[in-house]
Amino acid sequence: MSEIERYIAPKKLDDALEALAGGPVTIVAGATDLTPQITGGKLSYKATLMNIQHIEGLNAVTKKGGTKKDGKIRIGALVTVSEIRGNHMLKNHAGILCQAADHFASEQIRNAATIGGNICNASPAGDMIIPFLALGASAELARWQDGSIETRSVPLDEFFTGPGRNMARDDELLTAVTFDVPPENSIGLFRKSGPRPALEISTVSMGISGELTEGTLKNVRVAFGAVGPTALRGKLTEAALEGKILNQEVIQAAALAARKDVSPIDDIRATKWYRTHLIGVFTEELLNNVCQN
Amino acid sequence: MAENVAFKHIEKTSMIGKRIKKPDAPAKAIGKTRYINDMVLPQMLYGKILHAGRPHAEIISIDTSEAEKLAGVHLVITAKDTPDLKLGFVKDNAPLKSKVLCERDEVAAVAAISEAIAAAAIKLIKVSYKDLPGVFSAEEGLKADAPQIQENFPGNKSLKFEFKHGDLAEAEAGSDIILDHVFNVHYVTHCCMGTSCAIADFDHNGKLTIYSQTQYPYNYKMDLAPALGIDPGDIRVIQPTTGGSFGAKLDVYPYEPVAAILARKTGRPVKVLFDREEEFINSPTRQPAAIHLRTGCTSDGILTFRSADVLMDNGAYTSWGPTVPVIMMRTVSGHYRVPVIDFKAQAVYSNNAYAGSFRGYGNVQMTYATAQHMDMFAEELSEKYGMDPIEFHLKNAQKSGEVTPQKSYLRECVLAECLTTAAEASDYVNKHKSYTEARAQEGRYKRGIGLASSIHNAGGAKIHKSDGCGTILKMDDYARVTVITGASEIGQGIDAVISQIVSEELGVPPEHVTLVNNDSDIGPWDVGVHASRTTFIAGNGAKRAAIKAKEQILAAASKQANVTAEELDLRGGYVVQDKDGAAVIRLDRMLRQMHFQPTPDVVMVSDYYEPNSELEGKDHISDHSAAYSHAVHIAEVMVDTLTGEVKVEKVTMAQDVGRVINQMGLEAQMEGGLAFGLGFALSEEMIFEEGRLLNPNFRDYKVPTAPEMPEIEMHFIESDCEEGPYGAKGIAELPTIVVAPAIANAVYNATGIRFLNPPMNPEKVARAIWEKKQADS
Ligand SMILES: Cc1cc2nc3c(=O)[nH]c(=O)nc-3n(C[C@H](O)[C@H](O)[C@H](O)COP(=O)(O)OP(=O)(O)OC[C@H]3O[C@@H](n4cnc5c(N)ncnc54)[C@H](O)[C@@H]3O)c2cc1C
Repeated sequence: MSEIERYIAPKKLDDALEALAGGPVTIVAGATDLTPQITGGKLSYKATLMNIQHIEGLNAVTKKGGTKKDGKIRIGALVTVSEIRGNHMLKNHAGILCQAADHFASEQIRNAATIGGNICNASPAGDMIIPFLALGASAELARWQDGSIETRSVPLDEFFTGPGRNMARDDELLTAVTFDVPPENSIGLFRKSGPRPALEISTVSMGISGELTEGTLKNVRVAFGAVGPTALRGKLTEAALEGKILNQEVIQAAALAARKDVSPIDDIRATKWYRTHLIGVFTEELLNNVCQN
Repeated sequence: MAENVAFKHIEKTSMIGKRIKKPDAPAKAIGKTRYINDMVLPQMLYGKILHAGRPHAEIISIDTSEAEKLAGVHLVITAKDTPDLKLGFVKDNAPLKSKVLCERDEVAAVAAISEAIAAAAIKLIKVSYKDLPGVFSAEEGLKADAPQIQENFPGNKSLKFEFKHGDLAEAEAGSDIILDHVFNVHYVTHCCMGTSCAIADFDHNGKLTIYSQTQYPYNYKMDLAPALGIDPGDIRVIQPTTGGSFGAKLDVYPYEPVAAILARKTGRPVKVLFDREEEFINSPTRQPAAIHLRTGCTSDGILTFRSADVLMDNGAYTSWGPTVPVIMMRTVSGHYRVPVIDFKAQAVYSNNAYAGSFRGYGNVQMTYATAQHMDMFAEELSEKYGMDPIEFHLKNAQKSGEVTPQKSYLRECVLAECLTTAAEASDYVNKHKSYTEARAQEGRYKRGIGLASSIHNAGGAKIHKSDGCGTILKMDDYARVTVITGASEIGQGIDAVISQIVSEELGVPPEHVTLVNNDSDIGPWDVGVHASRTTFIAGNGAKRAAIKAKEQILAAASKQANVTAEELDLRGGYVVQDKDGAAVIRLDRMLRQMHFQPTPDVVMVSDYYEPNSELEGKDHISDHSAAYSHAVHIAEVMVDTLTGEVKVEKVTMAQDVGRVINQMGLEAQMEGGLAFGLGFALSEEMIFEEGRLLNPNFRDYKVPTAPEMPEIEMHFIESDCEEGPYGAKGIAELPTIVVAPAIANAVYNATGIRFLNPPMNPEKVARAIWEKKQADS
């Protein structure tokens, strides 16, 4: 463990970004990923430790516009999993996020864990990543450039580059996650598995969203977790469903496609066989749930 | 001012069977309790151990110079500083090692002024190793060309046990059904919330005070002394509050002498405290075992024989783990009436982790096998001959007064009542039948119900020369009672039970009883908290001491009141007339009168209770416990046949408790015991690869969480044990022992698949169901 030379807790985004531009900084939000990684020796502190929890303006959930194309939802990086879980607007418009929050860790961890931390940690098993991928969300990144803030937006399905790795540069902070307000006829479902009902890291996880009109699914997005080096979009599954009337034949074809979409590994938590098996089971289960509702 | 006691009448009531709060519960709940882990002594140094982290290697060289140079480091020691010091009851272990035999092996240790410096110093020690080919299973260890692990144990053979009774060949010939299976019981560990800790401190006369989590303080002195080369009499053991033991602290492990050696050499108190990862890697495990069980039965449903051949991976050193066959064989020979027995067990050294004692002590492993065989017979007899499953169990259940082939004398045996009570309460027979029928039908979720039962010693187990316990009881001038007992409190609740018993006898409130039991220089001998023995043994001791005190007080009062002592009683803080409860004198006044007179009569009594059991002995033929008890568990499960998740929805238990003493403590032991069995059955597993533990953390070692606890329905059957205090029997291990096979039998009822190798985790269950489906279609 290397020594922390400086600890800062800026209130202004400007100050935080300036500090980031100025040299090696370890960012900490809820510390629920960082602390175990440091004590486990997987990571060491950089010279400056920056607590971002006090930065103003990063902890809001806002909706601008309606469900007709122009609407946007923006979730600040410091919003906690508990806040997502209890947010009524999200329940109405993006319930899949609340479902994932429901299955996340335990009360104590949910109170501390931020969505920024979950996304930047870039675990293939990160539970909030799945609903965001299914919602077609983008990461908003900010940095200090020539005396002012410069932001860019990266679609989440391009953001993850490997286990624990993402596209954010060293001088960039994730400030928010944004996505279009899903239309009225949208569906969104999340499923996660682990041997225990509580406090469990996903063996696999899955999310699906789309628009359902008269039994037909459109604009389908499928996301899988813990089945590859990063959380990923299930392109074959999406193709098997797009524009189709949801019946048993289509569901079976989608479950088959899902098994092809994923490339899990054997590790101590599960074998490749079991992860692939579960992806098929979950795909069927979620689509059957769509049919039933 | 003298109180007028005329017209005061106090009815006779009893504390026994009431719900008594654990005296230390509030402090624990609000975080006020100081555990050993929190303790800091003046001038204390922090000890840290360098573990090998590899399973088998020569140590070529150790360079401690960089570590010694680090500011704040007082001392670095290696095996060179501790030659000839041996540990363990076959003396095959040492505080620090000159050769590595398993991952946890202690190679060097540091004492420093802070935990952080000690940890940093450990990283600066340079060790060069030459890795050796290892042995990673009992089977490998037995091979002719296997590497030799322990010099003094040729062929890697460790402990061996045998018991035979009757003619096996004849019994086999007379059997209509013979079952033959190998059950592989896996590695699990205790996961005490308080990680392992010891604080050692020497005085200038060379006497060691060790603050320890031990659950057997008196034998501990004997076991620790040779690891330090000192006299056991020069060790004082103090037991601060511990965060759980469950068998893990029934032996001396290397970190304890290491703390003492560091303390002696630095002249300062030294504390060694494990972090969670160290705890996982360096704690004892439950003894894993491959149990080859054969059982015979006639078409009438009468058991004919059991033969068990048990192969145990001893790991690198011998702690209590490989002695568990002593208890396994009592179940093989004594659970249900089995006329012919052939039991063998062999432990084989390897480069794996080594096992200690763990709640259930071999019976968790053996009952997982025997209770599944009973279920298999019940299935087959019902299918072929239409026999009712409960009738099959009842036919073979012993009755009071029967003696097992090992000479366990079942004085009060209520196995039949346990079986019928649990079966009726859960509607076992009907549910079992309807779930069996539903098995063949379509559907993702399947319900199942399963029954299992076992026997366990419930009045101690005389493995040592004495299974006794000493008690000293004194009363002060205010009628407050102090009980000094040998029995340790490690969370199980002897504090509540002893206050309750003393309160019962002396008619004082339980809050007026103080227990002193954490200092070996004060307390008299006891063999330790294990074998479900403490309420039975120490409870008897406390009762006998309290009766002596009562007799002394009533004798004095009888002189004063001019009646015989038999006509008096102690109730509600008074001496009263036994017949109508009329108050004679306040108890505290009576005690003062006894005390302050020309010939003082002060209440200070003592007792040593030795149960009437017989020493286990080499041939294993003895009535080794003062009581035996049975439990029946019926588990109801829901299986997701696609994900393989098993949800235990309800457990109905019926257990012979002899007599309920503290109802609340009893319920808590049932729940806690069940949680251990649940984790063992479904999710907990230490995963090893070539001797290295791959999941030394709670993320990947999965203990049950609150939502997994099933609904529990408890039925306490009171057999009224003649030898037990107020009729009580020991109760704490059976709930851990019986639940796992009940779940396994329920999963079979739901799926038609037997799981011989726990844990029944989702992947294992899903895979087995999927494979069966492939094979069936
Ligand atoms: C007991 C336990 C249970 C858990 N259960 C789950 C679970 O069920 N599902 C799940 O997905 N996860 C789980 N986690 C993991 C963890 O809680 C989540 O990933 C959480 O969302 C991380 O958020 P945080 O605020 O604590 O991140 P931190 O630990 O503070 O940070 C994580 C990483 O992201 C970086 N970072 C944080 N915020 C930003 C930002 N705004 N910009 C740039 N970089 C940033 C940090 O530098 C660090 O590298 C669990 C963890 C624990 C300890």
